[in-house]
Amino acid sequence: MTQYILKRLLSGVVTIWFIATATFVAMHLVPGDPLSGDKAMSAEVRKNLELRYGLDKPVIHQYGIFLSNMLQGDFGISYTQKNRRVNDIIREHFPVSAILGVLALIIATVGGIVWGALTALYRDRWPDAVIMFFVVVAVSVPSFVFAMLGQLGILTLNKWLGASILPVAGWGSIGHMLVPALVLGLSTMAYLTRLMRSSMLEVTSADYIRTARAKGVSPFRIFYKHQLRNAILPVITVLGPSIAAITTGGFVVELVFAIPGLGRYFVQAVQQLDYTVIMGTTVFYGAFLVLMVLLVDILYGFVDPRIRVGKVSA
Amino acid sequence: MTDTTAIPALEVKDLQVDFSAQGGKVQAVRGVSFSVQPGETLGIVGESGCGKSVTMMSLMGLIPMPPGRIVGGSAKLSGREILHLPVAELNKIRGVDIGMVFQDPMSALNPTMKIGEQIAETLMVHKGMSKSAALKRAVELLDRTKIPEAQKRAKQYPFEFSGGMLQRAVIAMSLACNPSVLIADEPTTALDVTIQNQVLELMRDIQKEEGMAIVLITHDLGVVARMADKVAVMYAGQIVESGSAEDIFYRSAHPYTLGLKEAMPAPNMHVDERLVAIAGSPPDLFSPPLGCGYCSRCETAMSICNRQLPELIAVGDAHQSRCWHQHQMMDASVEGLFQPNYRTDRESSSSESAQ
Repeated sequence: MTQYILKRLLSGVVTIWFIATATFVAMHLVPGDPLSGDKAMSAEVRKNLELRYGLDKPVIHQYGIFLSNMLQGDFGISYTQKNRRVNDIIREHFPVSAILGVLALIIATVGGIVWGALTALYRDRWPDAVIMFFVVVAVSVPSFVFAMLGQLGILTLNKWLGASILPVAGWGSIGHMLVPALVLGLSTMAYLTRLMRSSMLEVTSADYIRTARAKGVSPFRIFYKHQLRNAILPVITVLGPSIAAITTGGFVVELVFAIPGLGRYFVQAVQQLDYTVIMGTTVFYGAFLVLMVLLVDILYGFVDPRIRVGKVSA
Repeated sequence: MTDTTAIPALEVKDLQVDFSAQGGKVQAVRGVSFSVQPGETLGIVGESGCGKSVTMMSLMGLIPMPPGRIVGGSAKLSGREILHLPVAELNKIRGVDIGMVFQDPMSALNPTMKIGEQIAETLMVHKGMSKSAALKRAVELLDRTKIPEAQKRAKQYPFEFSGGMLQRAVIAMSLACNPSVLIADEPTTALDVTIQNQVLELMRDIQKEEGMAIVLITHDLGVVARMADKVAVMYAGQIVESGSAEDIFYRSAHPYTLGLKEAMPAPNMHVDERLVAIAGSPPDLFSPPLGCGYCSRCETAMSICNRQLPELIAVGDAHQSRCWHQHQMMDASVEGLFQPNYRTDRESSSSESAQ
């Protein structure tokens, strides 16, 4: 198991290096640089600034500096925000995005499993039809629409109750997190619901379920002891990619709900070609995702004994 | 076990099971009756789709309902009616009074649950045993089905077992609550021949010790010959011949039984010799034939066979056959049997239905 994890971590490092390099190349292929902003700038000032940020050096040299700094865990200073280190930006704003993302993931996973199991239990009856209708809606409607609907919903609720139950936007308390996390996790939840449904239906007709019934095990016990665990397996497999979907989706949701997460800085940095911030956040997100996918794979081993032992002996 | 030996461990009378399908229903089981005494083994033989598994599954309430439906009949477990019981009542019988062993042990066990726990589950559910006590008993049961290192094996998952070992584990599971009836649905079909032997041996040993009744469903006449005291031959949802194993093998009465016997490969066969097969295929039970189900494939069919279904006719002591050829043994004479054109239209009718 340890060997397996080490192998995965090593391949993760390669992945992150690739992400870093690809982003670096792409950023420098885009016309312009961080200094070509709205403000008029004399050639002399520009020259000075280039000198200061090292932009006068050949690109390959800049790449070398970037790599060696990155290895030391230093992503440099933002070009556009005064005296802000990229590390500080990540440190301050990533926890916000992470909390939102994790909450969304939990909502999506639990929701997906519960709704999926329900649709399978009520197959071809009305609860199945109703849930599957909402699944299609949640998959096809983009998240910013739901974000706005969510805000509208909070507003209407507050007005109707005559008190501010949930804040419409901002960050701070658990109340701020609930609706954005729900919106963020919605499409993933819908996807997982469909997956869970088909997986449950497959498991329901499995031989070992018949065996359990022949043993005289009650339907409820069969459901949670035999069906659930086996049906969850495919759901866990897609959790890794789901984390990616939720993180990238977070950019939009953070914007609509005015949440001070990392997403906003990321988008802003791309618009302003703020090299260091783009590189820093991209590499950081890449590393985060690699780690999450690895965690999911390890988790998979705990649920499915066949995988676990296979890895030990490998 | 049972109160008196006179009461059969399991007695089924005139069981009828339908499956509704698009535009009608398939009559999968059409009036099946049999009984097994404690300590006795009944072999149910027949080809795929003849309704042998459905018969036993419906007794246990294991057929999907709908589309399945038990139309009629009765099934008595040590004298107590078990058909149409609600699931909660049925669950007190399943695994307690009736144990079940399935065809493919590879898929019959939950892949994400330890073998020991799966066996212990039966005990926990029915006997209210604590988990540790049930696990201890599970190890004993595995030991009893001659699984080496039972203690260690109980903590393993199904994928760590071989097919034969798994089937032993399934048998151990079905025996957990000392059932009075053990239903084995093709227990050796998925296993290779040497393992088959061991599994059958095991079942017989345990039967000797426990005195339970075994209903053995199989299409392997060799298995039946080894194991069964009584045999019921099923065809197209009906029992066409039943009797003691000797009756069935040495005094076969029904043409289908004879056909099955001929189809068996003999040990002294030459390599170039072809296996004998029964020509044709079973009737569509969507619209079962008016007469005998085997009529279209029968080499000795008569005109009445196509028109009227024969009763089970006693041809010996506890030996019955559903064939018009044995009509002389019937108590009552049959109308229509001696009609003028008897046997004359045999050629045309048999070639017609063979189409």
